Order: sequence, then C-alpha cells, then structure tokens
Amino acid sequence: MNPVVVENLTVAYQKKPVLSNVSFEVPEGKLIGIIGPNGAGKSTLIKAILGLIPKAAGEIKIYDKKYRPKDRVVGYVPQRGSVDWDFPTNALDVVLMGRYGHVGWFKRPGKKDTEIAMECLKKVGMEKYANRQISQLSGGQQQRVFLARALAQDAKVYFMDEPFVGVDAATERAIIELLNELKRQGKTVLVVHHDLQTVKEYFDHVMLLNVNTIAAGPTEEVFTLENLTRTYGGKLSFLEKDQLIVEQK
Amino acid sequence: MNDLLRMILLDANTQWVLIGTMLLGIASGVLGGIALLRKQSLIGDAVAHAALPGICIAFLLSGEKSLFVLLIGATITGLLAAYSIQFIISSSIIKEDAAICLVLSVFFGFGIVLLTKVSQTPSGNKSGLDDFIFGQAASLVGNDVKLMAGAAAVLIFITALIFKELKVLTFDPSFAKGLGLPTGLLNFLFLSLLVAAVVVGIQAVGVILMAALLITPAIAARYWTNSLSKMIVISGIFGALSGMAGTLISTLGEGLPTGPFIVVTATALFLISMLFAPERGLVTKWIKRIANNKQLRNNKLLQGEKRSGYHEL
Repeated sequence: MNPVVVENLTVAYQKKPVLSNVSFEVPEGKLIGIIGPNGAGKSTLIKAILGLIPKAAGEIKIYDKKYRPKDRVVGYVPQRGSVDWDFPTNALDVVLMGRYGHVGWFKRPGKKDTEIAMECLKKVGMEKYANRQISQLSGGQQQRVFLARALAQDAKVYFMDEPFVGVDAATERAIIELLNELKRQGKTVLVVHHDLQTVKEYFDHVMLLNVNTIAAGPTEEVFTLENLTRTYGGKLSFLEKDQLIVEQK
Repeated sequence: MNDLLRMILLDANTQWVLIGTMLLGIASGVLGGIALLRKQSLIGDAVAHAALPGICIAFLLSGEKSLFVLLIGATITGLLAAYSIQFIISSSIIKEDAAICLVLSVFFGFGIVLLTKVSQTPSGNKSGLDDFIFGQAASLVGNDVKLMAGAAAVLIFITALIFKELKVLTFDPSFAKGLGLPTGLLNFLFLSLLVAAVVVGIQAVGVILMAALLITPAIAARYWTNSLSKMIVISGIFGALSGMAGTLISTLGEGLPTGPFIVVTATALFLISMLFAPERGLVTKWIKRIANNKQLRNNKLLQGEKRSGYHEL
C-alpha cells in the first residue's frame, strides 16, 4: 500500500491552474524529492495534499484513505519564513506543539511529552538551545527546531517545504542525517527541493513538477537531462558531467 | 483624602465596581495579548467603535436604559463589524488596514448620528448613553456591575481552557490545521471572545478608548518576558491594575469619566516597561551597553592592545 497517491490533482487560485492533472504515487520508506522551477507549484502541491488550500479537482489518498489530520499519520515542516519568529516562546515550546495532537483538547502537555520533545531536539542537535528564545536562533537552528517539531508529531509520512533553503552547511548535514534516520525507521519523506546538484546524492525517488507532473520514479531513471530540460523548459544546460546550472534568462 | 478613600473602599457597590473593572482588566489584558500577537489589535478598536450604533438602536427599540439590552445591541453590531472586516479582507482587494479603517469609521459615524437622534427624544436627553463614549464605571450599580464581573470571569475561563490551541493557531496557523485543529472555528471563537471583551468593557472604558485597554497592557507585558504564558499573565495583571486605579480615581471626583484614567494608568505602566524592563527596556539596554563598552576598553588598555584593530597598510 503506497503512503501517498495523487490522481489528477488540479489547483487553481484564478483561472489559470497552478497545478494541472498532477498524478503520482510514492513508495513507502523512501526519500522523495519534489523538483521544479520557481512557480512550478511545488509548495502548492504539498499544501493541497495536506488540505491547507482547496483543490479544484482530483483524488488524494494517504495510506489508501482520505487524509484526515486527526489520524496523525502526516507530519509537516512548513517554510521557515511562514511564521513570525518574534513570537514569545522558546525552542522546546515550539517542539512541544508537535505533541498537541496527541495531548488532545483542553489538556496541557505532560512530562512524557516534554521528554519526547527534548529527545527530538537532541536528534537535530539542538538540545543545548531548548530554552533559547526562538528569535535568537540562527536561520539554520530555526529550521532544525521546525524539523524537531515534525518529529515530535511521530508521523509515518513527512512533508517538508524547502528545508534546505538558507541554512548553513552544519544544518544541511544535520537535516540529511535525520532524513536518512527517518528512512531507516521506514518513514516516507517528501521534500520540496531546489538545488539540482544534490538531488542524486539525497533522494531515492524524484518527482519532476512544472504545473503538470513531468516525470516521477527512481532518481537514476528519472533524473535525466531530457526530463530536466522538459521541466525547466530549455533554461538548463550541463557544464560538465553531473554539474548542472540553471541559466538565468 | 485617606478618609474619603477608606469610605469609598468600604462601600459595597464600589467594591463590586472594583472587582468588575479588575476582572475586565484581566480579560482585556489576556485577550488583547493574544490579539496583539495575531496582529488583530486594531480589530478590537473597530469593534469598540462599532458597538455605539448597536447601543443606540437597542435603546431606540426598547425605549429604556437596561444595560443587558444595550449590551446585546453592542454585541450584534460589534460582531457584524468584526466579521465584515474579515469578509472584506478575504473577498476583495482591500487590505486589512483599509478594511478596519473603513468599518470603524462607517459604524462609528452611524453611531454618532443615532446618538444625536437619541438625545433629541424626550427620554433620551437624560438617558446617559453619552457615558458609553468615555466610560463611567463608577456610576454603575447592582446587577450591572455583577453582569460585567461575571462576563469577564467567563471570558478569562474560556481563554484559559483553549490557551494551548490559541497558541499554536497564533504562531503557525497552517501547522495548527495540520494537527487537525478546526482553525476556522477557533478563529471565529477568538474573534467572538474579543468582541465580548470589548462589549463588556465599553461601559467602563468607553467606545473610543476601549482598544487602549486591549493593546496597552499587552505591549507593556511583552517587554518583561519571552514566554507567551508569562506575557499573558503579566498583561492580565497590568490590565487589572489599570482598571482598579482608573476606577478609584474616577470615584474620588464628581463626574470624572473612568475610561481616560484607566488608559492613563495603562500608559504609565507601558512607559515604565518600555524604559526600565530588564533586558528589553531602553534605559536598561543603554546602561548595559555603556558598562559593556567601558569594560571592553579597559580590558584592551590592560592588555596593551589599544591599537590591536589597527593594521599598517
């Protein structure tokens, strides 16, 4: 049973669709990169799957069922810029928010939830910063806090929106180690990704997107010059082998 | 003066008024703190102004000054204003600031027209509806005060109950939705609590200054802490202090409106916070920086590194 199945998904803010007839399936226990140019609808795809924005048409199945947040099978890491980091709270508290679904209405997170949250901070190398005000964290550290919060959700499928954007090398390594750890535990992780150079190194599967699905499958089969040219519309050229550059038109 | 104060404090009605304005201050401080972080402070201002036409219509329809009836009128137009703002933002190209401004001025203008109309009616010219402009808690009596105190207490209780949900909704709405929280319902609920706080507060603080009781304790509290729960508690305490102080001052003199004194007290608390709060206060930061610079300079002199930053080219 595939964790994520999307059929003919169409999303339109206005007349022109942002996503049109997108179909793909995701195998369990893999790292999947969602790749495409700016405006291809990568973030929109994730948001539509999670029901954060309405879809115009199509079917989305998570483990063969209509997605319901309260089933708690899905963890979500939004773009770091989507929240106000001046919010009065510390790192541990943000991670604890990942436990709120388990805690339930009207109750406060207990000692066990705090232990789990600390454990998750440790996994992203942030346990020293548990009590640090979030505005005083660096961009990479904020990203790791978001990852820890998703881990605290204890989900089976994770959606991550551009986790590698604007982070330092240490954070990038920490994130990729974490992704591999999740994979070893049999979790499925979908990552919206920008940097073509690291795709082959990081992901087992890729999904090339530009309003439509261009191609989806194992990285070595799908991540080809031909498919990439179709995705990026000829704005792409190879310099030397395995080195890609997106031309600025 | 002391005798007067003692006499006032021993008066049963004044005690109730004090309890009422204190609870009101807590409720406004708590809800205002959350509204501030949700960047909805100005919605409170619009709702307060929009309560005026509701009060006048309720008076014209019922023909009597029953506080309960007037507050129902205030609630209806207040809610209408709040949802109008949300509707305008979500369904037109008008941005939030313009939408709030539009709704506030339209409702308040209409309210003033109605108030003029009310004062021309035989029963209206001594109806005391004018008190709703600047607030007159001190003249409240009996059941009206108990209504205010009870409603404020209920607001505080509900907010405490759903505090965790409001917190995640405020910090990261899409994550809250991903957790399975009914974010639409929670938004609606919070807006309704805010409207309720405003409506309960306008008799004490008045429609023009009610927003100050929502915003000022909250921004003052933000200076003292980096924890949301502490900020909300401090904001509630500041609100309570302002409510009590304003009421006492207003009670001491004949015909002094309560609202302005509540707001002046809240502003004083804000100024103290802005200047002297540990870590964030302007004066505190300034003193720390001077001490720090001095220490850095001294260290360099001691180590003979006066020119360490200087490189010969």
